[in-house]
Amino acid sequence: MTGTVEAELEQFTRGDIQAFETLFREYQGDVYGWIVRIVRDPGAAEDLTLETFWRIYRARARFDPGRPFGAWARRIATNLALEHLTRRHTEKPLDHEYSRRAESCATPDRAVDAELRAKLAAAFGELPAKLRVAAILAMIEEAPYAEIAEALGISINGVKSRVFRAVRLLRRSLEKRGVRP
Amino acid sequence: MNERDEALKELLQRAAGGPADRELKRDLWPEMLRRIERPPVRVPWWDWALAAALLLCLLLFPQAILAVLYQL
Repeated sequence: MTGTVEAELEQFTRGDIQAFETLFREYQGDVYGWIVRIVRDPGAAEDLTLETFWRIYRARARFDPGRPFGAWARRIATNLALEHLTRRHTEKPLDHEYSRRAESCATPDRAVDAELRAKLAAAFGELPAKLRVAAILAMIEEAPYAEIAEALGISINGVKSRVFRAVRLLRRSLEKRGVRP
Repeated sequence: MNERDEALKELLQRAAGGPADRELKRDLWPEMLRRIERPPVRVPWWDWALAAALLLCLLLFPQAILAVLYQL
């Protein structure tokens, strides 16, 4: 880490608002980009980005300026995204959630009909949040396992295990619904 | 990943519309600044006094705990 960055992080830990603004502007895109990959909802991702930086700001005194800021921010962002997915899982019907996310975030393939999409959404929504995050990042976003592992705070083997379990559960759940991919 | 997993992955990607658009469309700093500058919620002094009185009451009359719990 260069001296300038470290000095800026040092100032941030002491509560310097300008140093925080510099960090915010430098990392907001990265944090948002990571969160939106998990929650697949731009509006929710913006809210969660703000919440991530709010938590960072409040925890500034505990931050070690010798450590990478980006990794710390991403870890907090991942935890918040996980909380969000867990909350959404209990609050909203799954089909609605997935369809809405798919519509707001990217254009779903028209060849995949609505019924199949609903079945996929339901199967995906049944996954525990931790497995869902691993599956979204690895299978839909194709993020490298090392990157997922760092953000989730687990080993690469841990990520592989979660993806494996997610695939197994997804397949079982889809087969119950008459889908055999 | 084996062939079946790849097929499932492809189906999921097509249903979800591929990777999400990761670009942030606006600067979030003004909102962050508003949140930082928002005055913290202050508990009025009489709320503290009421809580202290309740605590004292419970210490002096422990049997009142049940009555308090009933009211919650």
